[in-house]
Order: sequence, then C-alpha cells, then structure tokens
Amino acid sequence: MLMEVKKELKFILLSIKYNLAREMTNKVTFLTNIIFMILNNAAFLIEWIIFFSIKDNIGGYGLKDVVLLWGLASGTYAICFLFFGAVQELPNLIMNGKIDSFLVQPKNVLISILTSKTKVSAIGDLIYSYILLFIYGFSIKNFLFFTLFIVTGGIIVTSIATIFGSLAFYITKADTLTGNVMGTMLNFDTYPEGIFKGAIRILFYTIIPISFAVYMPLNILKEFEIIKFIAVIIFTLFITLIAFLSFYKGLKKYSSGNLMSARV
Amino acid sequence: MNNVIEVKKLSKSFKVKVKEKGFIGSLKSIVKPKYKTIKAVNNISFNVEKGEIIAFIGPNGAGKSTTIKMLTGILYNDAGSISVMGIDPTKKRKKLAYEIGTVFGQKEQLWTHLTPYDNFKFFGAIYDIPEYVVEKKIKEFIEIFELSEFINTPVRNLSLGQRIRCEIVASLIHEPKILFLDEPTIGLDPVVKENIRTLIKRMNKEYKTTIFLTSHDVGDIEKLCKRVIIINKGEVVLDDSMENLKYHYLNKKIIEVKMKEKVNLDDSKGITILKDKGYNLKLEVDTKKTSISEALKKLDSDKIIDINISNVPLESIITNIYKGEK
Amino acid sequence: MRKYLNIFKATLINELQYVSDIVLGFLSFLIKIFIFLQLWNYLYDDPSSLIAGLSKDQMIWYVIITEMIWYGTRNKTLVSQITDDIKSGGIAYTLNKPYSYIIYIITKHFGEISIKFILYLILAIVTGFIFIGPIDFNIISLPFIIIVFLLSFIINAVIRIIISMLSFYIEDSTPFHWLYDKVIIVLGIIFPIEVFPKVLQPILKFTPIYVVTYGPAKLVIDFSINSFITILIVQIIYLIVIILLLALIYRKGVRKLNVNGG
Repeated sequence: MLMEVKKELKFILLSIKYNLAREMTNKVTFLTNIIFMILNNAAFLIEWIIFFSIKDNIGGYGLKDVVLLWGLASGTYAICFLFFGAVQELPNLIMNGKIDSFLVQPKNVLISILTSKTKVSAIGDLIYSYILLFIYGFSIKNFLFFTLFIVTGGIIVTSIATIFGSLAFYITKADTLTGNVMGTMLNFDTYPEGIFKGAIRILFYTIIPISFAVYMPLNILKEFEIIKFIAVIIFTLFITLIAFLSFYKGLKKYSSGNLMSARV
Repeated sequence: MNNVIEVKKLSKSFKVKVKEKGFIGSLKSIVKPKYKTIKAVNNISFNVEKGEIIAFIGPNGAGKSTTIKMLTGILYNDAGSISVMGIDPTKKRKKLAYEIGTVFGQKEQLWTHLTPYDNFKFFGAIYDIPEYVVEKKIKEFIEIFELSEFINTPVRNLSLGQRIRCEIVASLIHEPKILFLDEPTIGLDPVVKENIRTLIKRMNKEYKTTIFLTSHDVGDIEKLCKRVIIINKGEVVLDDSMENLKYHYLNKKIIEVKMKEKVNLDDSKGITILKDKGYNLKLEVDTKKTSISEALKKLDSDKIIDINISNVPLESIITNIYKGEK
Repeated sequence: MRKYLNIFKATLINELQYVSDIVLGFLSFLIKIFIFLQLWNYLYDDPSSLIAGLSKDQMIWYVIITEMIWYGTRNKTLVSQITDDIKSGGIAYTLNKPYSYIIYIITKHFGEISIKFILYLILAIVTGFIFIGPIDFNIISLPFIIIVFLLSFIINAVIRIIISMLSFYIEDSTPFHWLYDKVIIVLGIIFPIEVFPKVLQPILKFTPIYVVTYGPAKLVIDFSINSFITILIVQIIYLIVIILLLALIYRKGVRKLNVNGG
C-alpha cells in the first residue's frame, strides 16, 4: 500500500515535470503568461481600494484581511491548476471518450487524468499568493499555515470540480456545470464572508465549500483555533474520498453502460 | 497450444441519440431525445493463440473498436465472457494493463516536446520499471528497431513515420504479452507502411508478442497475418487462416484481354463477364466449374493483342465477404 | 452583403442548439449580481443615502446592466478562433476568398451573440425588477440607448479582434485579452466612473470602458440628451481610430505571414 502511494507520487511529479518542460519550450510565452497572471490578479486590488475608500470595514474585514483572502484564494487555485490542471477538462475528456488511453495504464485513472496537464498561469497565481502573504505579514508560522491551507484548499477545489465533472458520465452539460461551479467558488471566495447573510452560508459548507477552502483558513491565520483546524483537515479528506467515489462510480457506468456519445 | 485471448459469446449494445434534421428537429431533440439501440457486438466467439499475428477486420462500424475496448478493459461487455492472459478485463483492469500494450490509431501517447528517449523513460515510470532496466531496454530497442538516428530528437520534429514507430515501440517498454494495434498504418505512405510492417514482424519474432491488429489496409493483412477474423454488423463472418481464405477464393481468376476485333461473348457456365467494351474484356472464371483453357477457347487466339490472367485481389474478396457473398 | 447576411443567419441558427448552455451560464451572472447586492447593501448604511451621487438602486442597476453587456457579448470566436486561424496559417487561405476575413468574423460574432444577448437582456430586466424594482426610465430614450449599445458592441468586437491579431507578432495573445478583461471588469463593470477618486475620473473617460460599458449603462440609469451626445461623439471617434488601427495591424500581419509562409 505504502509502496503504491510512493510509486503514484513519483509518477505525479514526473508528469508535472514533463508538463512544465513542455510549457517552457517557449520561454517568452511562458514568462508573459506568468507575469500577466500576476498583473491580472493585482487589478482586483484596485477594486478593493475603492471599496475601502467608501467604508473602512467591509463584512468585518479590513484591507489587510482582504489581501490575505486574495492570497489564500489565488494560492488555492494555483495548487489546483498546477497539480491537477486537467480537472477543468475532465467533463470534456469523458464526453469525447478521451479517458480511454488512461484506462489502459496501470495507474490510478483519476490521478493520471488530473495530473496530465499543468496550467502555466498557475505559477503566476502561486507567486502572487505569496506576495500577498508578504504584504499581509510574513512569519514562519504564517508561511507554514498558509502553505498547508493552499494545499488543502487546492484539493478541495479539485475534488468539487471532479465531483461535478463526473456528472459527465450521466449528463451532457456537465462541462458548463463544472465551469459554473468553479467560477462560483472563485466568485464568492474573493469577497468577505461577512457580507453574506442567511441561507447562502449553508452553501459555503456544502456544495461550494469555500468556508473550508478559504474562510476558515483565513480565520485560523488570524487567530489559531484547534477546532477549525481539525475541521479543515477532516473536510479535505472527506471531500477527496467523495471525489474518488463519484468518479469511479461514473467510470463503472461508462464502461458497463450503453450510451454511445462520440465513441464509435 | 495455449490461448492468450478467449472470447465466448461476447455481446455489447449501445443506445444512440437520434437527431432529426432542421430547426424543429434540433428543438425536439433538446426537449425529448430519441434513442435507438444498436448491437455493436453480437454474440461473437474466438480464440487467439500465443505468438500469433491476427488481423481483426471489418468495415467501419462493424464493432472492431468496441471489441478491442472490451478486450482491454475500457468497456464492459453486456453478455458473454472474455479472458485475456487468463485475466477478466472487467475485473482486473490494472493487472491486465501490465500484460498488454495498446496503440490506438495515431492518437498521440507520446509527449511531443520530449525526445523518444525521455518518452520511453516516462512510459517506464508508468509501468513502475526500475530506471536501469528501462535504460537497458531502450538500448535494446534502439538496436532492434533502428532508432538511433532520432532517439534524441524531440518527437514534434520527427516525421510521421518515425513518430508512429516510436509510438509502437513505446508501448513495448513493459514487454507486453499482447499488443493491440488499431489501424497502425492509416494515412502513411507506402514506404513508411512497409517500415511499420517490418517493425511489427520483428516485434513478433524477437519478443514473441502476440499481435492483435485491426486495419483497413489489405497490405497489412496480407503481409503480416497468418489468420484473419472478419467481423461485420457485430458478428464474426469469417475466422480462418490466411491460406484457407486465399485458397477458398483463389478458384476464381480474372482474365483481361485486348482484342483486335470486337467479340460477342455472353455469360456461360463458370464464366462471368465483368466488363465488356468491345475490344477490351474482363472475365471472371470460376475454375471449379470450368477450366481456364475452356474459357480461352471462346476467344480467337489469333486476335488477342494482350492478355492478363490474375487472382481475384484480396481486397475484393474481403469486400465480397462484407457484402455477405460467399 | 447577402453573403454576410447568410453567414449571420447560419450562425444564428447554429447557436440555437446552445440555448441550454446559455441558460446554465445564467447561474454565474446571478451569483455576481447577488454578491454585489450584498456588498452594496452593506456599503449603503442608509438605503436613502447617496454614494458618488448615485442611489443604491441606481448603483445595483448599473452593475446589472454592465454585467449583462459582459456576459451577453462574451464570445470565443473573437479570441480563440482568430488566434487559431493565425497560428495555423489558415488565415492565409481566406485571403483569396471572395469575402473579407474581418467582416466575416464580426458577422459570425454577432450571429453568435444575438440570441445570447437577448436572453441576458431578459434575465437582467427580470433580475433587476425582482431584486430592486423599476428605476426611472423614459421610453423615449430607448432609441438613443439602442444606438449607443450597438456601437458599444462593435467597438468591443473590434478591440478584441485587434488584440487577437497580436498573434501575428507574438505567440500567445491571450494574456492581453486577460488584461483587457480586467480593465473592463474592474474599471467598467463593478462601479461607475463617479465612484473613483476625482483625479482619476477624467483619465477613465479616455479608456475603452467609457464607450463599451460605462456609457451605455449610465444612459440607462440616468438618461440625458447631453450625455447621449457626448457618449456618441466619443464612440464615433473611438470607432474611427480602432478601425484604422485594425486595418494597419491586419495588413502588416498578413504581409508578415506571407513572408514567413515563403
């Protein structure tokens, strides 16, 4: 079992190494991609400077908190797209029968698919997220927690996208749906939790679990609470399990099912 | 002899969305899609022996790909049983993966920005082969399959033929017992085709790899395979050795003649007129019913300018089998 | 002209099959509006107060309209198709065809967005009425508003094409699309120019957001014939400049392509 995990990890790292090597074949494109992604992200700081010029406390957050929020959010997405860059394409791969080549490999199918692509812009996101951490306030403790939480956050986002993406085994519009869900998470988790009131908060703990991905980590970084910490870790493990289960359930249907899309 | 593939009464059907034409039709299919069931594979059985090169052929949509996908564990069968290397692909897909290799058409498995050498190493990692073993293996491949010329050139700079060669060799890195090749020579020029065929033959000889090949190219089949399975509309219509197939159909000869004068000839026993342009004639002679000399007697030998007697090409034999003519 | 009409019709019909995708995309629009509703609710302590001279209702309607323009006119054709055509060299084949590639792309773009835009228009109106209710709107201003909207769409399309045409010179023009996206989103969608610091306001009026999103949206929430005329003049100037720019880039680019193609 441990051997298996080790082999799987070695394989993931090799995939990513080769992925990056591919993206780096054109250095200019590679660098502009990264730099523009950082600029792109930084544009939103303008938005917040304007908002805070209207009022200096928004949903319980000051400008500094929003900086940390953005750091966590972009770090989370960076991890997702750096390691599991193909997750966005999962529904399309399923619908177009392109997962076949992964099925004849003796590796975990889901992991092989997800790691088969890396988004270069994710490197920009990652750099940006650490710049924001520096602006917020750097300490070894902050650095370690921050790194841990962008990893758990990245896994949570990937898992949710996988769960929705796996719907492609059953319905045709799963690609749009997955895109929407990922977009929704990104939309919400870049705004202060405090402005949202009422029933919508339930969503943050369920279908779009940004509380576990971003809000709780932010609170923990501000002030450590063991309960929240455990909650984040347990939820990450839980959602990962659900992601695997839903993918494999769908895969079974794909193989034994009789719906022919573009498979001929 | 031991069978590496055993297929018994295998079936699989699909549901296909039926789309109506026009604007109203597309609206309808959004609201209430219609489906029809087609039997992609219908109750087929066959065995493949160790070390064989077998051609699995049939027209488009005959069920070839579906069968291969079931043999490799990508799709599960509705009914019947499959055993590949004694493994049930539906139950032990991962275990099977170590035993088989696949090249699906020209779908790229290779990373185009890497050299074949790095690609082979990557494939080695997929199959958990220790690095030094992979390196040894690559050396061996370079020699046997003559890859030294381009082993260190990024795949995107290789010619199509070189790329396909690497695709196929890459699938050998884990020494599969069976190799599934789906249309390996499609879209290649004759020289490259010949190259690939040599490679396949050598693979079969050196490593005793059983080769399960689908192709539309009669040349592939004629030059590589000792046995042919023809499948049409999901059913096996022929499972025989190449020799038998040829023998069975070689009793028909084609005679093409060019005459000085017009001849009037009608179909007679064992002789069918395929083409009659007055001076140029094309006849098919069934040697079971009549002899060649009998047929030639009908032509005035003094007036023959040119004559050519040949076998029925394999291509038309197969086409006829597809059509259900025997 | 007829051939372009046919292209328009063909893409329009083709687009009908994606209606369900468009409707699924509504979710994202609604979420955006929901977030801004929450945010402005929070920022307007007293619902009757004004921020930058605008009431809460006007502010939210502004976001609804600019988001409608954003979602209703987004289209991959202007981004990926042009880039692909240039990279693959396919654009060279269109040179000897009896139509202009650029007009073809624009026609196709409008064929593709018309249904989408109409659906978003309906959605925006319904959303606005449900969340905040009607605002002062004089039906007589409608023809003027339509003109400004149409010009805004054309300007936006031409700017996108210019950005995509950068692919003649650099390998990947998408980062520049991101940048344009961000200019539009941050400066032109979230809040009207009036909210920005006074020093920045005149500068912002020179950016594309003034003609693409701010102008049309401002006319809807606060119409006056004077502002209509100002916006129209700026739009026309913009249009002339970017069309000239496009012609220049396209010609030079195609020549470059021919040289490379040998």
